[in-house]
Amino acid sequence: MSVLRVPLAGLLTWVVPGLGHLFLGQKTRGLVCMAAITATFWSGVAIGSVQGTVAPHSRRLWFVAQLGSGGNALAAYGLHKLVDPQSAASPTPKVAGHWASAEVGVHYTGVAGLLNLLVILDAMVRAETGGSRDRRRPGTPDGVT
Amino acid sequence: MLGALFTHAIELSGRQRILLMLPLCLAIAIVYKAIRSENLSRLPAAALSLWVTIVVGMSAVGVGLWVLFEIMV
Repeated sequence: MSVLRVPLAGLLTWVVPGLGHLFLGQKTRGLVCMAAITATFWSGVAIGSVQGTVAPHSRRLWFVAQLGSGGNALAAYGLHKLVDPQSAASPTPKVAGHWASAEVGVHYTGVAGLLNLLVILDAMVRAETGGSRDRRRPGTPDGVT
Repeated sequence: MLGALFTHAIELSGRQRILLMLPLCLAIAIVYKAIRSENLSRLPAAALSLWVTIVVGMSAVGVGLWVLFEIMV
C-alpha cells in the first residue's frame, strides 16, 4: 500500500482537486484546494461558455493546460460534446458567445488546470514524506513562507 | 437553467474583463499558500497578503508598459 501511496495521491488529485490531500488525512488543505480550483474552473466555463472555453481543436495548448484539472476538464469536454456534437469532428468548431468572454473563460480554466498540477505535485511529495512538504525539515516552525 | 449557465457566454465590457483579474489572482494566492503553508490557521492572512502583492505588482507593470507605450508611440 505504501508503494501505491504516492501515485494514488497524485491520481486522486488529478481526478478531483484536493482529493489526494483528503486521502492523506489533510482535510482542510484538501478542501481549500478543491473549492478554489473547482470554483475557478467552472467560473471560467460559466463566463466563456463550454463551447468557447473547452475547445481542444481550436485551443489545443489551452486544453492541455485545462487537462491539469482532469475530472473537471473531462466533465466540461463531455458537456461540450453533449451541447455541440458536431464540433468534435469539425476542425474549426463554432465558438459561442462573445470572444472576449471566451478569452477570460479560457484563462480561468487554464490557470485552474495549472494550479492543480502544483497541487498534484504537493500531494505526491506529502505522500512520500508522510505529510510534510520538506523531507529535510519536517514541521517548519512558522510554516508560512 | 443550470445547463444554460455553462452554454451561454456572458458579455463583458473592458472594465469587467479587468475586474475579473481580481478573483483569478485570489484563487492563485489561496492555492499557492494552501500548499506552501504548514500552519493553515494563517492561510487567510497569507493569501490576502499575496493577493494584494500580485494585484499591485501586475497593476504597476501594466501602468509602466502603458507609460512606455505612450512615450514611444
